[in-house]
Amino acid sequence: MPRRRRRLGSRVRSYVRALLAFLFSNVGVVVLVVAYTIAGAFMFQAIEGASEMERVNNMTKERDNTAQYLWQNVTLALNLFNDTALKEGISRELLHYQRKIVVAVHRGWDGGRSSRQWSFSSAFLYSLTVITTIGYGHLSPRTSWGKIVTIFYALLGMPLFLLYLSNVGELLASWFKCIYALICLCRGCPGFTRRRVVQYRSQLELSEAESIERPVGWMDYSESEITPDFVIPPYVPPDARRYPRQDPRRAAYIRSISLPQPPRHPQVPPVRGWSEPIHQAESVSSDFTYVTFDVQTITVPISVCVSFMVGYLMFGSMLFGQWEKWDKLDGAYFCFISLSSIGFGDFVPGERVYTPRIETSFIVCSLYLMLGMALVAMCFNLMQEQVIHYYAGLKRAMKRICRCKR
Amino acid sequence: MYSSGRDSFRSRDSTSSTRSDARERIKDCLRKFIAFMFTQVGVGALVVCYAILGAAGFMHIEKDSPDEQLENVKQWRISCVEQLWDITNRYNVLNQTAWTYNSNNVLKVFQNNITNAIRQGYNGRTPEEIWSFPAALMYSLSVFTMIGYGNVVPKTAWGKVGTIAYACFGIPIYILYFCNMGKVLAQSFKWLYITAHECSRREDPLLEDGEIQPVKRKITVPSTACLWVISFYILSGTIMFGAWEKWNYLDSTYFCVISLCKIGFGDFVPGANIADSAEGSHVKLVINFIYVLLGMGLVAMCYNLMCEDVRVKVRELREELKNCLDDITLKITVCMNDTKYYHQRQTRNIK
Repeated sequence: MPRRRRRLGSRVRSYVRALLAFLFSNVGVVVLVVAYTIAGAFMFQAIEGASEMERVNNMTKERDNTAQYLWQNVTLALNLFNDTALKEGISRELLHYQRKIVVAVHRGWDGGRSSRQWSFSSAFLYSLTVITTIGYGHLSPRTSWGKIVTIFYALLGMPLFLLYLSNVGELLASWFKCIYALICLCRGCPGFTRRRVVQYRSQLELSEAESIERPVGWMDYSESEITPDFVIPPYVPPDARRYPRQDPRRAAYIRSISLPQPPRHPQVPPVRGWSEPIHQAESVSSDFTYVTFDVQTITVPISVCVSFMVGYLMFGSMLFGQWEKWDKLDGAYFCFISLSSIGFGDFVPGERVYTPRIETSFIVCSLYLMLGMALVAMCFNLMQEQVIHYYAGLKRAMKRICRCKR
Repeated sequence: MYSSGRDSFRSRDSTSSTRSDARERIKDCLRKFIAFMFTQVGVGALVVCYAILGAAGFMHIEKDSPDEQLENVKQWRISCVEQLWDITNRYNVLNQTAWTYNSNNVLKVFQNNITNAIRQGYNGRTPEEIWSFPAALMYSLSVFTMIGYGNVVPKTAWGKVGTIAYACFGIPIYILYFCNMGKVLAQSFKWLYITAHECSRREDPLLEDGEIQPVKRKITVPSTACLWVISFYILSGTIMFGAWEKWNYLDSTYFCVISLCKIGFGDFVPGANIADSAEGSHVKLVINFIYVLLGMGLVAMCYNLMCEDVRVKVRELREELKNCLDDITLKITVCMNDTKYYHQRQTRNIK
């Protein structure tokens, strides 16, 4: 019996461990964020929905009061015969009433619409805007309990969302790098190849300064390993004689960006003196080493990241433009303000056009925001990497210059 | 580092050689200026200047935008008055119920119109009233700190485009400020904490008698101290805004937390009350500006310190865990050996 119990205990422990590991994996974090948001939606709906009816009733009473006041003080006091004085009185009263409406709407009264403000989907959007720190403010808690709960919900939710951002951002960054490597490197778009060669050349210069041993058999190596598409003449043209070591590098590079190597190719004998990542990746060669090589060493240029983000913004503006009948500028403005987590709240989906599909519009907006925040995090990841890469290159160059001059 | 050292070296050389003196001096001045710009004061000044620049720009763009909403509202009010006059003409003073019923309907239409207008940004104020300088300052602050109160928003197309561009350049500057300010405040707070810590320790009689210097350990500020600082800041904000704006304490706490968390709903903004007088609200806005900017620095400080603290704690925990695991493995091996020995003895005994 005790043995069995211990087994049960260990099994429970292993289950708990597996659950925790899952929760801290990417899927787990996404599920956690969504679950937290849904829980928040239910909570806020329960807290705030109750006080909603009260305000509607209050406003009706206010209107009745105004009508009564008009009757008592204006119509009865000033006679039918005094035209201008009557109109003036009514006008003054109406101005007063209008101010009251403005204040009431700012306090969260929505003009007696049939649809409820704190429906499930809008509460969902509300709790999402709290934890992403966007804070549109189209809905805000009116009851004191709602405010207290919002404070604690934000304090707990923001770290959770940061966890989500860093996790999912990293994951997306690695995917994006992979896709970028597959698309841009397999086809070998010319601008990129040239840039890459230039980069290698600068690296070569640097390594020259660090006096790395010159490889001996580079000629044979380059001849044997070139794929037929990219034939490099084994003879070094006179203008390239200044950088004679460029060729083996280049060959290696071209080999690495080409399609998977057919297995009949002979194994490369590692060239002496070179300690570059390409060779190391190659020496453990399988058919797909080129992918791992790319993911390890490639950095996505900043321009690609920025254009990707702009494309996402444009997509959002088209989507919301069609959905909400905003024009292009307004849509782009809304997307930018949302994704940079500013969140003014002057444009919120499902605010102007009250249609039956308002629920789906809220949900689409939430999905767009969650994905967009992760994409922004991804772009930050990639850009950071690129900047660090540039910075390292700059530092090396600086060191080399200093050493040369002194 | 290298380059700056080299540059200053070179400049010193060239100043001694009197040739091209002016140019070098200008260069030196520029270098000093750039070095200053990257210090904390420079970054703080940069942020404030950027905010002021943005405020002036947005004020200029938005102030003379034609507002159709105001005209519309005026039209609606006039037509409403006309309708009420008609009603009064038709049902005389004698028939009160009919008059009330009809005027109620008219009022309902009027009210719906106005709520729609408010949804689309009508605020009851003219653009000149809205875009006063402190309000514009607050607006540009809320853009580049990503708070986004939303009580003041651009209406014109140029204002929107300008906001996007302003945010694109402003957010990196703000992040620079955030990092810099966080580092400086964290360092000074740490120094303060450590001096206080040492002072309090010296007063301790036991250590003074023993003369044994305790092992010099790297002192990290505990997270609770950071939390105390932040909660104290929020408390002071609560009391301040509560006294000025006549909000109750819950509301002003809520406002402070929502602002410092960068959520910024905009349902409570100081100086946004319609009934407020103009001058008072302006002062409040400026003070709110300072409060938020300082608060962000404090948040950055706490973030820095807490990161450090958590890192140290995690390292300690890991070491402890390792020790624990080592102990356990040792115990297990000893136990296994014992049992093996026991078994061997038993078998020997049987033999």
